Amino acid sequence: MVSVINTVDTSHEDMIHDAQMDYYGTRLATCSSDRSVKIFDVRNGGQILIADLRGHEGPVWQVAWAHPMYGNILASCSYDRKVIIWREENGTWEKSHEHAGHDSSVNSVCWAPHDYGLILACGSSDGAISLLTYTGEGQWEVKKINNAHTIGCNAVSWAPAVVPGSLIDQPSGQKPNYIKKFASGGCDNLIKLWKEEEDGQWKEEQKLEAHSDWVRDVAWAPSIGLPTSTIASCSQDGRVFIWTCDDASGNTWSPKLLHKFNDVVWHVSWSITANILAVSGGDNKVTLWKESVDGQWVCISDVNKGQGSMSASVTEGQQNEQ
Amino acid sequence: MKLKEVDRTAMQAWSPAQNHPIYLATGTSAQQLDATFSTSASLEIFELDLSDPSLDMKSCATFSSSHRYHKLIWGPYKMDSKGDVSGVLIAGGENGNIILYDPSKIIAGDKDVVIAQNDKHTGPVRALDVNIFQTNLVASGANESEIYIWDLNNFATPMTPGAKTQPPEDISCIAWNRQVQHILASASPSGRATVWDLRKNEPIIKVSDHSNRMHCSGLAWHPDVATQMVLASEDDRLPVIQMWDLRFASSPLRVLENHARGILAIAWSMADPELLLSCGKDAKILCSNPNTGEVLYELPTNTQWCFDIQWCPRNPAVLSAASFDGRISVYSIMGGSTDGLRQKQVDKLSSSFGNLDPFGTGQPLPPLQIPQQTAQHSIVLPLKKPPKWIRRPVGASFSFGGKLVTFENVRMPSHQGAEQQQQQHHHVFISQVVTEKEFLSRSDQLQQAVQSQGFINYCQKKIDASQTEFEKNVWSFLKVNFEDDSRGKYLELLGYRKEDLGKKALKDSDQVAQSDGEASPAAEEQLLGEHVKEEKEESEFLPSSGGTFNISVSGDIDGLITQALLMGNFESAVDLCLHDNRMADAIILAIAGGQELLARTQKKYFAKSQSKITRLITAVVMKNWKEIVESCDLKNWREALAAVLTYAQPDEFSALCDLLGTRLENEGDSLLQTQACLCYICAGNVEKLVACWTKAQDGSHPLSLQDLIEKVVVLRKAVQLTQATDTSTVGVLLAAKMSQYANLLAAQGSIAAALAFLPDNTNQPNIMQLRDRLCRAQGEPMAEHESPKIPYEKQQLPKGRPGSVAGHHQMPRVQTQQYYPHGENPPPPGFLMHGNVNPNAANQLPTSPGHMHTQVPPYPQPQPFQPAQPYPFGTGGSAMYRPQQPVAPPTSNAYPNTPYISSASSYSGQSQLYAAQHQASSPTSSPATFPPPPSSGASFQHGGPGAPPSSSAYALPPGTTGTLPAASELPASQRTENQSIQDQAPVLEGPQNGWNDPPALNRVPKKKKMPENFMPPVPITSPIMNPLGDPQSQMLQQQPSVPVPLSSQSSFPQPHLPGGQPFHGIQQPLGQTGMPPSFSKPNIEGAPGAPIGNTFQHVQSLPTEKITKKPIPDEHLILKTTFEDLIQRCLSSATDPQTRRKLDDASKRLEFLYDKLREQTLSPTITSGLHNIARSIETRNYSEGLTMHTHIVSTSNFSETSAFMPVLKVVLTQANKLGV
Repeated sequence: MVSVINTVDTSHEDMIHDAQMDYYGTRLATCSSDRSVKIFDVRNGGQILIADLRGHEGPVWQVAWAHPMYGNILASCSYDRKVIIWREENGTWEKSHEHAGHDSSVNSVCWAPHDYGLILACGSSDGAISLLTYTGEGQWEVKKINNAHTIGCNAVSWAPAVVPGSLIDQPSGQKPNYIKKFASGGCDNLIKLWKEEEDGQWKEEQKLEAHSDWVRDVAWAPSIGLPTSTIASCSQDGRVFIWTCDDASGNTWSPKLLHKFNDVVWHVSWSITANILAVSGGDNKVTLWKESVDGQWVCISDVNKGQGSMSASVTEGQQNEQ
Repeated sequence: MKLKEVDRTAMQAWSPAQNHPIYLATGTSAQQLDATFSTSASLEIFELDLSDPSLDMKSCATFSSSHRYHKLIWGPYKMDSKGDVSGVLIAGGENGNIILYDPSKIIAGDKDVVIAQNDKHTGPVRALDVNIFQTNLVASGANESEIYIWDLNNFATPMTPGAKTQPPEDISCIAWNRQVQHILASASPSGRATVWDLRKNEPIIKVSDHSNRMHCSGLAWHPDVATQMVLASEDDRLPVIQMWDLRFASSPLRVLENHARGILAIAWSMADPELLLSCGKDAKILCSNPNTGEVLYELPTNTQWCFDIQWCPRNPAVLSAASFDGRISVYSIMGGSTDGLRQKQVDKLSSSFGNLDPFGTGQPLPPLQIPQQTAQHSIVLPLKKPPKWIRRPVGASFSFGGKLVTFENVRMPSHQGAEQQQQQHHHVFISQVVTEKEFLSRSDQLQQAVQSQGFINYCQKKIDASQTEFEKNVWSFLKVNFEDDSRGKYLELLGYRKEDLGKKALKDSDQVAQSDGEASPAAEEQLLGEHVKEEKEESEFLPSSGGTFNISVSGDIDGLITQALLMGNFESAVDLCLHDNRMADAIILAIAGGQELLARTQKKYFAKSQSKITRLITAVVMKNWKEIVESCDLKNWREALAAVLTYAQPDEFSALCDLLGTRLENEGDSLLQTQACLCYICAGNVEKLVACWTKAQDGSHPLSLQDLIEKVVVLRKAVQLTQATDTSTVGVLLAAKMSQYANLLAAQGSIAAALAFLPDNTNQPNIMQLRDRLCRAQGEPMAEHESPKIPYEKQQLPKGRPGSVAGHHQMPRVQTQQYYPHGENPPPPGFLMHGNVNPNAANQLPTSPGHMHTQVPPYPQPQPFQPAQPYPFGTGGSAMYRPQQPVAPPTSNAYPNTPYISSASSYSGQSQLYAAQHQASSPTSSPATFPPPPSSGASFQHGGPGAPPSSSAYALPPGTTGTLPAASELPASQRTENQSIQDQAPVLEGPQNGWNDPPALNRVPKKKKMPENFMPPVPITSPIMNPLGDPQSQMLQQQPSVPVPLSSQSSFPQPHLPGGQPFHGIQQPLGQTGMPPSFSKPNIEGAPGAPIGNTFQHVQSLPTEKITKKPIPDEHLILKTTFEDLIQRCLSSATDPQTRRKLDDASKRLEFLYDKLREQTLSPTITSGLHNIARSIETRNYSEGLTMHTHIVSTSNFSETSAFMPVLKVVLTQANKLGV
């Protein structure tokens, strides 16, 4: 059910902290404690190093691809307190912008839905979240939410672009009146939902409390046309919660415990169709979860690629068939 | 960065890691008097609430104690993991006492909070530690070398770890080993540390540097390495931290000399062994890496010394420090800005000072604002080295196509030597996740069926496998579509068998059967059961001939009738008969009296007759099926449907089925609602089937979606086959379902299948977006640098900057006008454009003159078109069912008719490929990536003149389209362009069956059967059956020869400019008008929601520039003149507006040919073939021309000729027909 189709030897010299495919699933960006960001072309099971991006002065925690309608753009964030936006131009990847507005490690970057334009949310250990909006001519406008999470924000994740009050994209000719929202998780054990007010300021809309330790990651599920909004969160406390909100106002969120793991849960990721959640934990295990008909979350697979990865090149393809 | 502070001079203990929320217990310090010199003491518990941004700590409880404390620890003893306040608070007192408190009781406000107390020690108890493996074990140290091991389960009698060390000394520190549970270490101000083995019950090693200056104030074991520990010295002459390894205990492993004066306390982080806190009399709080000696962090503190420092066990970034200025401060080592906090302090101050905000502005008055200098300090940097706990070791992220990207970092001890091993593990794994196996296999079967055209088999299998009767019915109905005599079969499915009825009828009245043979053949052949039988019985009352008779001339009614008849006054005779209720006579007479009279009489008869089946009879006679369908009892839907199947003329058949279905759907109960599906299947109405099905089923589950898609795909095939035209522009709902389906397939990794099923509906941005994504995900080779281009094209094209194209294509603008008024949604910035553009680019590329022709199409799909459909489409069949089709320019679906489902998908795929491959040779095709050629550079810059590609139309807001300069130039014919495209599209679907197989051959026989299939029982003489009689069908007949690409291309005749300038549309509003040309390349500027309106205005205001074309070589000029002349001739004799429209269109599209001639890119065979055609035109031998045309098309490269050959055929055919 889960089969390794490609094993990419990144040649990073230290821990890898993030690996993200681009919009098409043809390029892989990785980042590492070795301070580098690498981009590979991984089409057809291959791996061609396209770029080895140097510019950060500390471990690089996360990378995020912008939507291709804006070109080939990758954001990375690092312990060096910087966010770098890299851009490919004429086949060459270069630093396009550097955001140094944080006072501590920047732990998470996430691009807004492309419908909003080029907007990047960055969560930092200084407790602030900054929002970079591209305004043209190489200029980025910065908005900052101070004290979003005391001791630090660990994750940011945008809500899908859904026009309030309509389940499907509005067919009208007007620019849809999107309400921009994102979720953040932090060291105050909270998940917070932020909403852009009409005056362009960001306001805390909701606090979701259920975790008893640092929230390590939040992931707002892609919209699949249903009125329900869903957020997954995971924490140092080993718990993964699925938060759902059915009401139109978006104010009533109820958590459901997906599972309590025995170790830190570092990362949650929704499948594109929003029906599978990949959970990766400190025990180096990746598990896939799916909601059953009766609303229970069921583990449908362990992805156990770790062991024997040395021989992965040999057994590639049939390895870990489950 | 400071998080919290409490004004206490106290010892402190964090709640254990298990505890949530986090508490900090403080007990009044015995050693330091605070400023009040108060001798009272208290034990307090505070909660660390980080969601509260203020510096205040929330006090949970205060317990007035009679003791002051030298040491306070909080053990997790008997703590459940529920997180309630629990564990045990262990305090070391002044007088040798150890007191156990119950923190939960303290918080609850209980009086009786002491669990136990023991004062076995001599002197103050300064050292306490809980064994982390057995949390009931507590070690304590006091004066006189006293060390006790307390078992909290049996608190009364402590053990000793062995004999007391000599000479007796104070025990200042005590610590359990972090790896081995029976090892304990103690240290004293004398500088000596002793390691005890509790199993041996004796000291096993003594650690000392013999300097006599190590005045031990701190002792800590390495969290990971069992044999290592650190000792801190309070002596100002030796303010060091020594790191010892017991295996080499002769001298310290490392000495940290970072403090200038004596060290008062240390704390080693359990979360990261590279973090050791120390605070000293130099008023510094340092965080060092004891493994290297490097200072990682210096906490900004005031100038006061700290005498106690503690990591928060639960929150690894948090620590607390107690200072002599009577304050406990909680810090984060992650840095951050304290601006917010300071502001709060100021607010607090100002509120304490009374109302300094008399104006209610909410702002404190200026004097109280923080001086400038502190602002500089408000930013606190984090640790130099990232702490272990924020280094994410593992991750798994989904990406497009059901791929899962995972990585992990094998955990390893932090000491050296691990690097080697670590390097081998920096792999990232890409896995395919498949969760819906059944779904995939069913989808596969469906695809196979489509590919092999084995629909009958497929349906049969489905019938056999059906679980429910309804499902079985549906599949049976679907199957019938692919069989001969589909209507008859439908009837059978509804329970009406010709044969059965025939027998019944015969039995009932063989005589009748003979006599009314001429009345209604249909009634005999395809009867409607009982009703018809009765009808026949009725006919028995007809007078039978034979014998002689009297002509009555009496005065009664007979006589009157006689008179009337004798005078030839049928009308009166009929009236008399009716009056006398002699219905049969009346009817018979009326027949003789002519059509008009008959009709009247029928009407009167029906008005009078009240029999149950009158309405049916009425309907049969009056051919008013609508009546039946509209007003029958829905329980009789079967009968109604049967009637429609039997009688309805092809042109109304679908509509009637539809109507019935709609009624069922709207009014019926749930059972009937599902039956509506059957009606829609008969009607071939895919969209309604989808709507109806979706209502009844839960469409969210993949398999249920699969259920639907199977039916839809089969039905659409059927519609293509039986109706020969495309009735099925993909509706919004179907498109949504299909794209949902494609999405699902993609999510399971079946990218190719997803592409095959994806409808080609250009108006739905999400679909176009998905197509683009799928194509690219398939991994078409593309130059690395080329990739940014496509997304930009998407963005750009809609903006309609044609740039490098000469101004000879103006029609696209007209399209705008057409699209919008019809409910088109003008795209929002960004994606909609993307969607719209994509088909464009896709369709344009393959036909771009000069780019494509050298290309060997990597996909097989062009092949089917090559034969150019030499068969005219079957007779009337195609036209007959047109009622369903929108004749007016369709609303949103005008352009992207479903027919292309896969063709377009493969096309766009192909186009990507093309684009990639053509990069080098044809820079103009990819302006986004390559600097535009000099000639076009300017136009790029200015957004270009000429005609915006049709896509631009999409981007234009409806209101403004009218102001486009080009609009007025357009010939009226262009306004109908849309329609002609639409007209073509359905037909084109025929050849293009979506799965790239050559369908022409197997389809044609089917089509030929059509007429007989639909032979209605009631003789219909309407012209519909005669294809030549109907202009529409005529057109349809010709159209088949036009391959799909034409139609797509026809709407987007901008071969030159897939990319480039439109981007300006976005740039401009952002104020980039003056950008150098290189900026027309894709770049991020385009991005953020550029307001569309502005954009558009810009477009308008841009200067237009034209690019002159090369002349057509003289030797080929004849082609142009001949063709144009021919079109003119046709135009002058064609009266039918549709034909004219097509001709207009054709004349425009022939520009492609002329362009190619100009560029001399056509192969000699083609040009010579064209000359042959031209010659045959000269001689008016159009059929010969057509033959040559076919020859050219079949022998040449599709991409080379597809742009113009189809139109040429249209022209020839028209010319032939018009005889010009």
